Amino acid sequence: MMEFSFGAAATKILTTTGVSHLEGGDILMIGVACIMLYLAIWEKFEPLLLLPIGFGCLLANIPMSMMANTDTGGLLNFFYQGVKHEVLPPLIFLGVGALTDFGPLLANPTTLLLGAAAQIGVYITLIGAVLLGFNMHEASAIGIIGGADGPTSIFIASKLAPHLLAPIAVAAYSYMALVPLIQPPIMRLLTTEKERKIKMEQLKPISQTVKIVFPVVVTIVCCLMLPGVTPLLGMLMLGNLFRESGVTARLHETSETHLINIVTILLALAVGSSMTAESFLRVETLKIIVLGLLAFSIATAGGVIFGKIMCKMTGGRVNPLIGSAGVSAVPMAARVSQKVGSETDSSNFLLMHAMGPNVAGVIGSAVAAGVFISLFGDVPALEPHAAIADIVGTVEPGRAAVAQVIEVLRP
Amino acid sequence: MEASFLAAVNVSILALAVIFTVLIILIFTIKLLVKLIPYKAPPPKARQSSPSASSSQDDHVAAITATLAMHMGKSPDEFRIVNISQS
Repeated sequence: MMEFSFGAAATKILTTTGVSHLEGGDILMIGVACIMLYLAIWEKFEPLLLLPIGFGCLLANIPMSMMANTDTGGLLNFFYQGVKHEVLPPLIFLGVGALTDFGPLLANPTTLLLGAAAQIGVYITLIGAVLLGFNMHEASAIGIIGGADGPTSIFIASKLAPHLLAPIAVAAYSYMALVPLIQPPIMRLLTTEKERKIKMEQLKPISQTVKIVFPVVVTIVCCLMLPGVTPLLGMLMLGNLFRESGVTARLHETSETHLINIVTILLALAVGSSMTAESFLRVETLKIIVLGLLAFSIATAGGVIFGKIMCKMTGGRVNPLIGSAGVSAVPMAARVSQKVGSETDSSNFLLMHAMGPNVAGVIGSAVAAGVFISLFGDVPALEPHAAIADIVGTVEPGRAAVAQVIEVLRP
Repeated sequence: MEASFLAAVNVSILALAVIFTVLIILIFTIKLLVKLIPYKAPPPKARQSSPSASSSQDDHVAAITATLAMHMGKSPDEFRIVNISQS
C-alpha cells in the first residue's frame, strides 16, 4: 500500500494544480476567451460559433487540463483530428448545402460573376501578406479569409498553414460577425443614390428538375477542373441534392439541423483549443487580423465595383448593391444588401436578388480554395492509398494492381 | 522580397483567371440547363368550393345544430339542418 506523508501529499496536490503552472500568456488568453464569450452572449456576435470557440480557448489555456489541441490523448485533441484530417469543414458544407436554395442563382446565373469578383479580396490580401513577410502557403491561407467562409478558411489553413489555424479562424469568424458593420460604409461610398434605388426585375421561376440536376453538374464541372476542392464542393452539392431531390427527406432534415449543429460544436471547440498562448500571442496574429479586415473590405469593394460594371452593361437593370453579397457570409451579406437598398428606397426589395451572388460567393470561395490546393497542396492522386502502400508497396494502375493487392492480402 | 511579390501577383492573376473561367463555364451550363428544361407552371387545380369557406359553414351548422338541440331538448341526431340562408 502506498504511503503519503501529509507534507508530500500537500506538495503533490499543490504541484498538480493549474494555478501553480499558470503563466502570463495563459492569463492573457483566458482574458481573450472571456472577451469572446462576452461578445457572443451579450453582443450577439456570431454566438453559435464564438461561444464554443471562446469556451474551447478557455479550456485550452487552463494549465494541466490537457485540453489544448496539441495535448495528445486530450479530449479536444480528438476533436482537433477532425480539423487536421479535413473531416469537419466538409461536413459543415454538407449542412450548408442542405440549407441553401440555389434558385435565385439559377434564375439569374450571371450573378456568379459577382461571386467571382468578390474573390479579388482574397488575392489582394495574398499579395499584402507576402509583403508582410508570410510565405506563399501562409499568405494563401490568410487571403482566403476574404472569401468570408469559415469552413473554407479552416480547410485551407489546416492544409497549407496549420500553425496559423487559430488566428485565421478567429479572424474569419469575427469579421463575418462584423459584416453588417464593415460592408455598409464601403457600399455607400462606392455607389450613387440613383444606383442604390435601382429596382430589379422579379426572378423567373426555375424548374425543379434543373434544381436537381444543378448540384450534379456543378460537382462534375468544378471537381473535374479542380479536384482539390472536391471534399468541400462535393459535400456542399450532396447536401443540396438531399434538399432538392425530394426523396431523402430524412437525410435532408438531419443535415440541415442535427448534423450541422453537432459538427459546429466539434469544429468550434477544436478551433478554440488551438488558441493557446504559444500559437496566438504572436506578432503574426496582429498581422492576420489587419489583413483579414483588408480582405473583407476589398472583397466587398470588388463585388460592388463589378456590380456597377454589370449595371452599366445591362443598362441599369442590376443594382450594384447586390455585388457586396458576393463575399459569401450567407445569408448575412445578402441581408446587408437589402438593408442598405431599403435605406434609400423603402419599397426596394433586393434580398432575393442578393441571394444569387451570395450563394455564388460560396461556390466562388470554394473554387478559390481549389486553386490554392492545386497550386500549393499535396497531389495525393498520384500516390497509392497510404494504408495499402504500407502493405503492398507502390502498385501500377490497372488489373495488375488489383491482382497484386489480392496476392498480398491472401492469408 | 521582390521575387515573392512578383510570384504573388502572378498567382493572383492566374487564380482569378481560373475562377472566372470555371464560373463562366458554370453560367453557360446553367443557361443551357434552363433552356433544355424550362419551367412549367403546375396545372391549375379543379375548381372546388373553398375549403376555408366550407369548413367555416360546417362550423356554423354544428354550432346551430347544438344550440337548437339544447333549446328543443332533443338529440342532435334527431334532426338535420339542410339549408342556411342569409337574409
